[in-house]
Amino acid sequence: MTSKKADADGESKAARKSARSSKRRRRISGLLALGVGLIALGAIYSALLPDSQTARADQNDPALIRKGEDVYNRTCISCHGDNLQGVKDRGPSLIGIGEAAVYFQTSTGRMPLAMQGAQSERKPPKVSPEEIDALIAFVESKGPGGPKVPAEDGEALRGDNPARGGELFRMNCSSCQNFTGRGGALSSGKSAPELDPATEKQIYAAMVSGPENMPKFSERQLSPEEKKDIIAYIKSVTDGNNNPGGAPLGGLGPQSEGLIAFIVGMAALVGVTLWIGAKS
Amino acid sequence: MSDDAKKEIPSDDQLAEMDRDELLKLGGELDDVQLVEYDDPWPVKGTRAEKRAERAVAAWFTLAGLAGLAFVGVFIAWPWRYAPAHSDAHVLYLLYTPLLGLTLGLAIVGIGVGVVMYAKKFLPHEVAVQQRHEGRSPEIDRQTFVAHLADAGAVSGIARRSLIKRTALFGTGAFGLAVAALPLGSLIKNPHAESTTKDGLWHTGWLAPQGERVFMRRDTGDSHSIELVKPEDLDAGSMETVFPFHAPVTKSGEVDYAALDDILAGRKRVDPAELSEALTRSDNPVMLIRLRPEDGVKVVKAQNQEDFNYGDYYAYTKICSHLGCPTSLYEQRTNRILCPCHQSQFDALHYAKPIFGPATRKLAQLPIQVDARTGYFYATADFNEAVGPAFWERKS
Repeated sequence: MTSKKADADGESKAARKSARSSKRRRRISGLLALGVGLIALGAIYSALLPDSQTARADQNDPALIRKGEDVYNRTCISCHGDNLQGVKDRGPSLIGIGEAAVYFQTSTGRMPLAMQGAQSERKPPKVSPEEIDALIAFVESKGPGGPKVPAEDGEALRGDNPARGGELFRMNCSSCQNFTGRGGALSSGKSAPELDPATEKQIYAAMVSGPENMPKFSERQLSPEEKKDIIAYIKSVTDGNNNPGGAPLGGLGPQSEGLIAFIVGMAALVGVTLWIGAKS
Repeated sequence: MSDDAKKEIPSDDQLAEMDRDELLKLGGELDDVQLVEYDDPWPVKGTRAEKRAERAVAAWFTLAGLAGLAFVGVFIAWPWRYAPAHSDAHVLYLLYTPLLGLTLGLAIVGIGVGVVMYAKKFLPHEVAVQQRHEGRSPEIDRQTFVAHLADAGAVSGIARRSLIKRTALFGTGAFGLAVAALPLGSLIKNPHAESTTKDGLWHTGWLAPQGERVFMRRDTGDSHSIELVKPEDLDAGSMETVFPFHAPVTKSGEVDYAALDDILAGRKRVDPAELSEALTRSDNPVMLIRLRPEDGVKVVKAQNQEDFNYGDYYAYTKICSHLGCPTSLYEQRTNRILCPCHQSQFDALHYAKPIFGPATRKLAQLPIQVDARTGYFYATADFNEAVGPAFWERKS
């Protein structure tokens, strides 16, 4: 946590200089709040519900489904319709989308949507983990059979072969997500997100459910072990883990590095020239 | 020059008597240059300070020399071959390039600093003032000078001697060509050099020379493993990169299913070089796309490619028709295929025709079917056009 905070402090320092500082600061404070929130909620969650298998078994519990319907009616109904059938030009049908999609969209705060746009951004989640469970139960009750998320989370979802995960990541993911999970541009204002803030379970859920324009990767296309290796690779290169030089400079490759080299090199050349010219 | 007459020109006798300093001063005066300050930095020779300055300059040059020798030593003798991480030699290997830079950089910096320090510490501090003349040179100077130049040209007779002119042109021209050929040569490459067949650029690894069945194989991160792709492996709205796998053939030219089973079960070995070659050959990657059912009904097919797809499954080459980058950014909602290099976009619902960016040709489509007995995808033929960027013989 402390390193994350330090990182964020450093980032916000730089952000102050830029013109869009307020947006950045908002995003960073959002990330921080999300991190704190997720960890706190995760602690509470694990304390209250030590065995996640029981939680999953409860999915057919009518009380949980009713609670889910209540959450749905409060947060989702205006775009997805009163029977999950979707509303034209607002939101798609949710029948049969599966728990992975519900989990990914709500736990990353992308749903409920703040506003209609090219794409929904990650933000602090509006619904609590318990509410997400209830929501999943409700959506599943309307159309079961969609992609599932594994019961485990965190370290347990990291495979033991990040090298193979790297091969698979470069083959299947890196064209949109960048070699080290920095994200990248797509068509018409859309973009693939940075993978730093994503938890293991969220990455897994994204792979099986294919949020927005991301293709789906079924369990038969990439086996659960392969997905876990990919997660292990992602976790080994994101969040400052692939930063041997100290400053990643955005991790964007030659553009930012070249710019810095040019500016620093130019300044050094000018400085030396001035030194040579001085006092002679 | 025009007011030379105003200056006193010393006679030959006077000139003979002048020493170096006086001659220097005279030369400056003739050019209207006056030395305001011309101090010897070390008026008293052999002081301690002078010796110290001398040693400092010498130290920089020595440093440069040692660094240069060190560079040669590192260049020749350092263990530069890759050593696996976690091995003892890995650190030495990692240091190779930085050491080359460090030593050569130090040599250059040493020479530079030495020269600059010498100039600053030992050359006289000179402040000179030169009178600026108004306007252009007098007409007489200008005309005589032009006449001088013209005379040089005429006297040399270069205008008349066309043989010399032409041979000189030939000699310098050929030299220029030789200089240009060096960089140009690296741009000229025979694209057919690595072809496995006679017209290799027209074909890919999906070509079946013996009529064998070419199945679709996925890359599992292990180049020796063979996993073939079935329709049910892909969810609606997904994409998989697949590579050709040439199935064994019986004597009658059919698929040898027994041998195929053995291979897939790991009981029979396939040449590992062939297996990894199939994953690395640059024109092999194919995007197998399964459209969402609601998008599948919107598809527009290209002429002569009406039966290339299998239901909602479409197979397009991953090689961009612009400059051959991997166009693997498939957006499953908009059904666009993006190329990350130059932002070309192709419409997967519209026979992958280009809809944005510099690409002008559609992505080649691979005709696919499902093997009735095993349920695996296979390519019924090679692409019906060349994949990737244009080349000399390509007319479309």
